[in-house]
Amino acid sequence: MSTVSSSARGHEPVARESTARWELLRALGAALVTPPPANQQVARALELPVFTGVDHTDAFVLTAPPHAAIHLGPEGKLGGEGLDRVAGFWRALGLVPPEDADHLGVLLMLYAELGEAETASSGERGRAQLHTARVALLHEHVWSWAPGYLAAVLALDIPAVSAWAELTLETLLQETTTIDPPDVLPLALRAAPGALQPSDSFDELLDVMVAPVRSGIILTRRDLGRTAAALGVGYRHGERRYTLKAMLEQDKPATMRWLAGHARSWSGQHLAADCGWPCDPSGWWSARAEATADVLEVMADSASG
Amino acid sequence: MASPTSRRPSSSLTDRGERVSAARRDVEARGETFYQGPSGIHLAAFPPKERWDDWVELDSRSWPERKEHHYLLVPTTCFNCESACGLLAYVDRDDLHVRKFEGNPEHPGSRGRNCAKGPSTINQVTDPDRILYPLHRVGERGEGRWERVSWDDALDAIAARLRKAIIEDRHNEIMVHIGRPGEDGYTERVLASWGVDGHNSHTNICSSGGRTGYQFWMGIDRPSPDHANAKVIYLISSHLEAGHYFNPHAQRIIEARANGAKVIVLDTRLSNTATHADYWLSPHPGSEAAINLAVARHLIATGRYNRDFVRRWWNWSEYLQACCPELPETFEAFEGELARIYDEFTFDYAATESGIDAATLAEMAEVVAQAGTRFSSHSWRSAAAGNLGGWQVSRTLFLISALLGAVATEGGTFPNAWNKFVPKPIHTPPHPGVWQELSWPLEYPLAQNELSFLLPHFLNEGRGKLDTYFIRVYNPVWTNPDGLSWVEALTDQDKVGCFVALTPTWSESAYLADYVLPMGHSSERHDTHSYEQYDGQWVGFRQPVLRAARERLGEVITDSRQVNPGEVWEENEFWIELSWRIDPDGSLGIRQYHESRANPGEKLTVAEYYSWMFENSVPGLPERAAQEGMTPLQWMRRYGVFEIAKGIGAVHEQQIPADELRDVDVTALGRAYTAVPKPDGPNVVPFGAPEPDGQGRRAVGVQIDGVIRRGFPTPSGKLEFYSSTLASWGWPEQALPGYIKSHVHPSVLEPDQLVLMSTFRLPTQIHTRSANSKWLDEIAHTNPVWIHPSDAARLGVNRTGDLVRVQTDIGYFVAKAWITEGIRPGVVACSHHMGRWRLANQSEGIGAMMATVDLQHRDDQWSMHRLKSVGPHASSDPDTQRIWWSDTGVHQNLTFPVHPDPISGMHCWHQAVRVVPAGPGDRHGDIAVDAAKAREVYAKWLEMTRPAGQVSPDGLRRPKWLMRPLKPSGAAFVIPRS
Repeated sequence: MSTVSSSARGHEPVARESTARWELLRALGAALVTPPPANQQVARALELPVFTGVDHTDAFVLTAPPHAAIHLGPEGKLGGEGLDRVAGFWRALGLVPPEDADHLGVLLMLYAELGEAETASSGERGRAQLHTARVALLHEHVWSWAPGYLAAVLALDIPAVSAWAELTLETLLQETTTIDPPDVLPLALRAAPGALQPSDSFDELLDVMVAPVRSGIILTRRDLGRTAAALGVGYRHGERRYTLKAMLEQDKPATMRWLAGHARSWSGQHLAADCGWPCDPSGWWSARAEATADVLEVMADSASG
Repeated sequence: MASPTSRRPSSSLTDRGERVSAARRDVEARGETFYQGPSGIHLAAFPPKERWDDWVELDSRSWPERKEHHYLLVPTTCFNCESACGLLAYVDRDDLHVRKFEGNPEHPGSRGRNCAKGPSTINQVTDPDRILYPLHRVGERGEGRWERVSWDDALDAIAARLRKAIIEDRHNEIMVHIGRPGEDGYTERVLASWGVDGHNSHTNICSSGGRTGYQFWMGIDRPSPDHANAKVIYLISSHLEAGHYFNPHAQRIIEARANGAKVIVLDTRLSNTATHADYWLSPHPGSEAAINLAVARHLIATGRYNRDFVRRWWNWSEYLQACCPELPETFEAFEGELARIYDEFTFDYAATESGIDAATLAEMAEVVAQAGTRFSSHSWRSAAAGNLGGWQVSRTLFLISALLGAVATEGGTFPNAWNKFVPKPIHTPPHPGVWQELSWPLEYPLAQNELSFLLPHFLNEGRGKLDTYFIRVYNPVWTNPDGLSWVEALTDQDKVGCFVALTPTWSESAYLADYVLPMGHSSERHDTHSYEQYDGQWVGFRQPVLRAARERLGEVITDSRQVNPGEVWEENEFWIELSWRIDPDGSLGIRQYHESRANPGEKLTVAEYYSWMFENSVPGLPERAAQEGMTPLQWMRRYGVFEIAKGIGAVHEQQIPADELRDVDVTALGRAYTAVPKPDGPNVVPFGAPEPDGQGRRAVGVQIDGVIRRGFPTPSGKLEFYSSTLASWGWPEQALPGYIKSHVHPSVLEPDQLVLMSTFRLPTQIHTRSANSKWLDEIAHTNPVWIHPSDAARLGVNRTGDLVRVQTDIGYFVAKAWITEGIRPGVVACSHHMGRWRLANQSEGIGAMMATVDLQHRDDQWSMHRLKSVGPHASSDPDTQRIWWSDTGVHQNLTFPVHPDPISGMHCWHQAVRVVPAGPGDRHGDIAVDAAKAREVYAKWLEMTRPAGQVSPDGLRRPKWLMRPLKPSGAAFVIPRS
């Protein structure tokens, strides 16, 4: 992992820039963590449209919850291994993991704290340690999944939420330029469970499709609702796996083909967030989505046949 | 996206970040929170304080309709246990009623968290059985007939009695007996203004044993463990469930555990605390000090004690001079002595005493040895309150802290006075010129607190009588041992002329009163509080929340009765009003202490009282309030608590500033005296008061390695390993931390006897005070007798729920058995708080917890039988129709004789009992007591004392430096010649 390289030190941001940089990240995190109306003063300070309670709940509670565990955990759910990994990072820093340790807003605020402490640190050793921690946080626990997540949020097409997501993506992308490029993928991706296989059972297919780290795609409730309407199948309310199962049971070939197309689309979307690191996660995500699309097409053909 | 080329933020992002910073500065400059965190939408969050004027929640009962409730959130302080956790009252803006209570996130001690008792305050406020109006007895005491009277009538009648007693120089016939302590020093000052030494507390049935051990070490009688930062936490208490400050401490213990701290718990019973321990040691009751000494011996024998700390801060020179004059006065000589003194306390010895194997003790001691200065510990009630000599449990526990140097260190244990702030009040009357022998008798010159639980015996012996006796949120009949002696005393008008109960609820004692005067719960009264819960100092404000809410809305409220239910009042306004009626023209010199400063000659209001306090005695508060454009009182009404300082650190190490040193004399032992008077500081927290030297110079500090430092408020200025006080007041054999074999030591038990432990409580209840909360009652309402399966088999108790008869020295009680491995063989346990009762002629009460009983009395023989259990009943609260339980336990304390420790004065709660299966005629809750035997046991324990008249080295009743809530002026300390 990186330390403060001489080149980086040569480009050390001036204090004014640092202060503003950490404040911006903290505010972006706070705007997400704090539901309206309490986050409205932060949104206004960010010069973003203010979220309404409905916007915030729709985007971040019902449709796209901002938790790393959902995106990096093998089951695509809150908690579990995905959360444990992030909580372990907090503990390694000597901090008590908060309730939502893997919440993107909380992670952005932690990142800002570490950055601020790094800037303020007077000792070379302490600063290097804080830098290492900040880099690890960005690499392992934020940039490893946030670009895809933010793309999914943008796809919700909620203006105020989209404005926040665009600014957050821009800011994070900027952050990736301030550190030495990591030479390995994040652990969660290196240790990710296998991709979808043609031989997988129906249940396994369902499990994979709702777990981003297995499928490479993000399947929101809204995606399912739009698709059900487009395909003319009934939308059954419930968890996404349940809804998808009902759609497949009603029209498997059409739903399979849509899923394959969705995965193919995600393959391209992931690449849009390439920050230029040799081991950028976007490549891994894109390849995983591509592999899923390939298998789904085979399954769709089989279902049609 | 293109690969980035820049390694610096773009100017547009930087500009945007700067604008966010600027907005944040503006918001925070207004005292508001910019980053508010998760909010009320998330269950784990708190309403941000900016929205406390109009907090919106949806009415859950209106679902799916989205019906909004708008609330004013007003802080106050919980009134149940002594933790004084912060509460937020949700005051409905539509009708100005309190709808619920949650935690106050601004409170630095409780940090927004509460136990079950905090939110249950709403039950106490809406309790259908609560007392709403002043009542005066009709007929005989205890007859259960009352008439409503006006406050004016009650005040005039009581004031007339008090005035007469004071004018006739019968000051000692006035007494105020406190249950739940209120504002530090408030009641004491009221009594002092009357010239009365009549403060009485419940402390000698509560924590005196624990306090005594600490006081003899450091001149301060409470520990303040910094659990959150400890490496090893050693508890002889139940601090994860019910110990003092348990909610603030429990959350910090849990934090420490998450950071890897080890928790060691000594508790004979498998308490909730024990279940969280890394080492749960279940010793034979009373052997805890032996275990502590074995740990201490291990530290000494392996050289793992903090040698420099011991050398600098222990009074080892004084010990050598007093006890080993033949030895050179060197630290090395003392170290040799230290090893010799504790050499007998091997792990094998402790194992024999405690019943815990030596290897386990050795392993635990090794964990302690590795803690260094991050060793936090607490002994409060528990063993210190259970055993003869229990005070040595806390003294030996602090020995471990003192050996490790874990005193006032991060993760160590502080003297509480350093983590507590008691603001100086507007008036401070002088201490009284009389000595109350009914609470401070000559037999107990070293007692930590008033011998409150012996009052009926003292009255019975004719040592005095009471003209007017107040109880404040106190239930002596129920709470004390030997409660039927209290019934005898309180129903005898020759002994107690007028009995006034200041109480929010009915109680076994209030039934016997002449006046029952309704006082408010936590949201209906004013007090301030400050408790040691971490290394910091805060002041919390309890207030009538409807008064604060209505004032926020622009109304002017001048009397808390204007906003409280019925005619419920608060003590502060009551005492001011009563004092004025005692001395209406000021001729007795009383009224001056209850007058306005701003408008002399006018009555002091609580608004002025607290305005003055917050403006003049709470450093930093005026400035903080000004930042938000408020007065200090407005700020406290708004937020409820102010943190004055944190990170106090080692006060004893502070060097005395030069301006405090004039005409300095340093004794051979290092005690430093100065001619400079004590600076007049705003914090009047109580602690020991070392006496001046022969020249009248003040003890200012202690010289350590050539530097005069603040030290400790002990006679020596150091930590007193050797207590010259104990040595010179008749107890030389107890001058060092040691082991006193308990009155329930196995060697004194008959073969058929077991030890009964009654020193614990269920965490959801707090004495008799919480019984008017329906939620708490539903959770905890009975107290079975814990019996180990092996004892149950031996005694013929077949199954849980079977009735057993527990025979004490003065009677017996009948209770249900709970057969459990959670108790040590040879020991039985029964929680207090339960067995509430009322007589059939007493229609008032607490419907969910008080069984109706028949209490018979012939000569010295008393018996109680249950006539009717609790059950569903009609009231203003429909929930009382849903009471599903009938078993409310047994009032075991009635069958306990008094066991006053001859040194600390603490009632030693443990006792030897015989347990047998109940007989055919026995019914659950039955009680029988022989009052003559109760007097015999009292006399037997009294014989163990060494009265001041025999042992006082200076003709005084008590060492002057020891703490005492009221300290009578000089002449009153002198033992009368008669």
